[in-house]
Amino acid sequence: MTAEVFPEAGLFQRGAAAFAASIPEHPDDDGFFGPGSVTWRVHADLSAPVSGLRSLLLQALHPLAMAGVDQHSQWRDDPGARFASTSAYVLTTTYGDRAAARAAAARVRKIHDWVTGTDSVTGKAYAASDPALLIWVHAAMVDSGLAAAAAYGTALTPAEQDQYVAEMTVAAELVGVPHARYADGGAPASVAELNAYLDAVRPSLTTSKSTADTAAYLLNPLDIEPELTDAFQVLAAAAVASLPDWARAMYGFGRGGPAPGSVPPERDEVRQVLGVLDAVYLGEPGVLEARQRLTLRMRAAEQAQQR
Amino acid sequence: MNEPKLRVSRGLAAMRLAARGGARYAVNAPRLFAAAGERRQQLRDDLALRTAQDVADTLGTMKGVLMKIGQLASYVDDGIAPPARRILGRLQDSVPPMSPELAAGVIEAELGARPERIFKEWDPLPIAAASIGQVHRAITADGQAVAVKVQYPGVAETMAADLGNVALIRSLLKMAVPSQDVTSLIEELRERIGEELDYVREAEHQRQFAAYFDGHPTARVPKIIDELSTARVMTSELADGARFAEMLSWSQEEKDLAAETIYRFTFRSLYGLLAFNGDPHPGNYLFEPGGRVTFLDFGLVKHFTPGELDPLVAMIEALCVRDDPEGFRRAMEEADFLQRDAPIPTEVVTAHMALFYDSVRERGPRTMTSEYSSAVARRYVDFKNPLAAYAKIPRPYVIVQRINLGLFAILGEMNATADWRGISEEIWPFSQAPPSTPMGEAELPWLAQTRSAAADIATGENSATAADMLPDGR
Repeated sequence: MTAEVFPEAGLFQRGAAAFAASIPEHPDDDGFFGPGSVTWRVHADLSAPVSGLRSLLLQALHPLAMAGVDQHSQWRDDPGARFASTSAYVLTTTYGDRAAARAAAARVRKIHDWVTGTDSVTGKAYAASDPALLIWVHAAMVDSGLAAAAAYGTALTPAEQDQYVAEMTVAAELVGVPHARYADGGAPASVAELNAYLDAVRPSLTTSKSTADTAAYLLNPLDIEPELTDAFQVLAAAAVASLPDWARAMYGFGRGGPAPGSVPPERDEVRQVLGVLDAVYLGEPGVLEARQRLTLRMRAAEQAQQR
Repeated sequence: MNEPKLRVSRGLAAMRLAARGGARYAVNAPRLFAAAGERRQQLRDDLALRTAQDVADTLGTMKGVLMKIGQLASYVDDGIAPPARRILGRLQDSVPPMSPELAAGVIEAELGARPERIFKEWDPLPIAAASIGQVHRAITADGQAVAVKVQYPGVAETMAADLGNVALIRSLLKMAVPSQDVTSLIEELRERIGEELDYVREAEHQRQFAAYFDGHPTARVPKIIDELSTARVMTSELADGARFAEMLSWSQEEKDLAAETIYRFTFRSLYGLLAFNGDPHPGNYLFEPGGRVTFLDFGLVKHFTPGELDPLVAMIEALCVRDDPEGFRRAMEEADFLQRDAPIPTEVVTAHMALFYDSVRERGPRTMTSEYSSAVARRYVDFKNPLAAYAKIPRPYVIVQRINLGLFAILGEMNATADWRGISEEIWPFSQAPPSTPMGEAELPWLAQTRSAAADIATGENSATAADMLPDGR
């Protein structure tokens, strides 16, 4: 899935188009997770937009990940395209069949092979295919899925949280993280391992002009449809409020949003805005059908489990 | 206006944005629910709402409120922004029916036992969708065929919570109906949703209409079965008849009769009951030959005080009977439709308003057409007209404007011909003329029987005043 598939549309429409296009109509198989997985539920949760935003805010704190994006992608020219292709990637690896997921992952790995260089902030060399960086990006996303669902979505039980983290190691491996236990260089496979990883990686994180630019864009995207600006501010505040305290401190954010001293939005308010956005999303071509395809498959899996 | 949550203020023009990309997809967008026959039924079953959580996911987080905004806005066909219309339409598609289990659970919670125990026969598959519930067919223990409206569980709580976010609703209304006065609409919306969620109130309205039209030669309102009705379940006689679309294929003569009944029903209830049944939606009628019409759905009823109706009656009388432009203008000012001392010549005022009264200004047969109803609707939302700066629709009449436009649209679609002026003269409180049509003749015994009852309902001075709600007067 490339950006060119969604030309000349606003951020939101591109996101909707990515969703509709990433849910297969006639999949060959259930993909790497399957309709009974926790991953399918989390990635379709109402809180997903907050999770995505939080995830990007977190990921930008790693100087080498940031440098790779900054020096090699066109995100500053067309951040919406980057956003749409990233969300299409996650959706395809989640809901696509195995062939589609593998193909999407192969494309990303091929691009990653070219993404190498030296970070001007830390002076360190980097390579996007470095498993350490891949694990960072992965862990930030998984942690955000859990945090956003807990704060604004359908909360998971502790067992389901562990299951989600474990299931998602497959996604990490698709993009190049070794198939190994966490202790042996693989992706974290439980909430405890995920938290241990985040604690361990914190000393490597830092902020810079690139980080600030990224956050400025993420929290107030210029290419968002103008009518959505105010609604988006509620989501941005929610994403900030759901960050770990240390990440907010690094950015200099307030408790409930970018501004120091801001108060977190209430759960109901965030959900109401998410619900309206979801309704608008449903009005975009193909989104309702894609959603129904997912619901049907998830229900069938549920019934099969009960039998 | 105290709105702590204003952060969201103009947001959500979301609805408008789809205008740019939306229309070109509309034709070929595949819809699962559009699948044919059995496949469609299967899909509805497979996607059915099975738990209260499913209901909350589907109708909570503003979606139920959005759907009601859509319904409210749909009465102003020219006023609702096209992308919003599309989004709201899709939203309706996105709400599947309750599973048989879930619906049975509501019956059990409300009536105290499983539907198979309460009713002699219970059809677990709904026959119709209601906006926040669905309708099942059943046969009562004593053998009566009934329609049972069952509300989605938890929907009242969910929507009440969402209605609390005034700032967000305000932005949504601004997007859906940019041409309308949002402050008035928001009040109407809150009231309507509150009323619609309360089936006790709806049943009360329906009882009132059923009692009033009891014995009417052509208009029929199904009776409420009291002992099987609660705040979340409403049971009424099962009505039979053709749907609107089927009726449209009948002879023009039949269509004219049906239209006459709808017209008489609307304005008889207005003058007799001081009540307006608010939902002139094609789905809310069942038709039988001979002009017999059954009126369904009393979830949206507006009551008036004599004081609210008096100026409207005065407007009709001044313009259509006495040919008194200055009197017409004074009545408009009294009703707050027009600012006092607006620097506009009276002939400009009457010239602009005349369209609304077109069908009742002169005697003789006139045909309602879609062109006419569209022209009327357009004039309502024409903000470049000479009166625009000085005219408004006062709050008590907001919903009525919409409803009336809906009625025009229905009659226009039926291409209905009648001497509307003649019928109106029978009904107008200041004229109360003798019958002008055979249906009018047939109404006489019913009318004699209801007059005393009507007098009881409206006891104030001028009890019989009332015009129709339009500043157009039919």
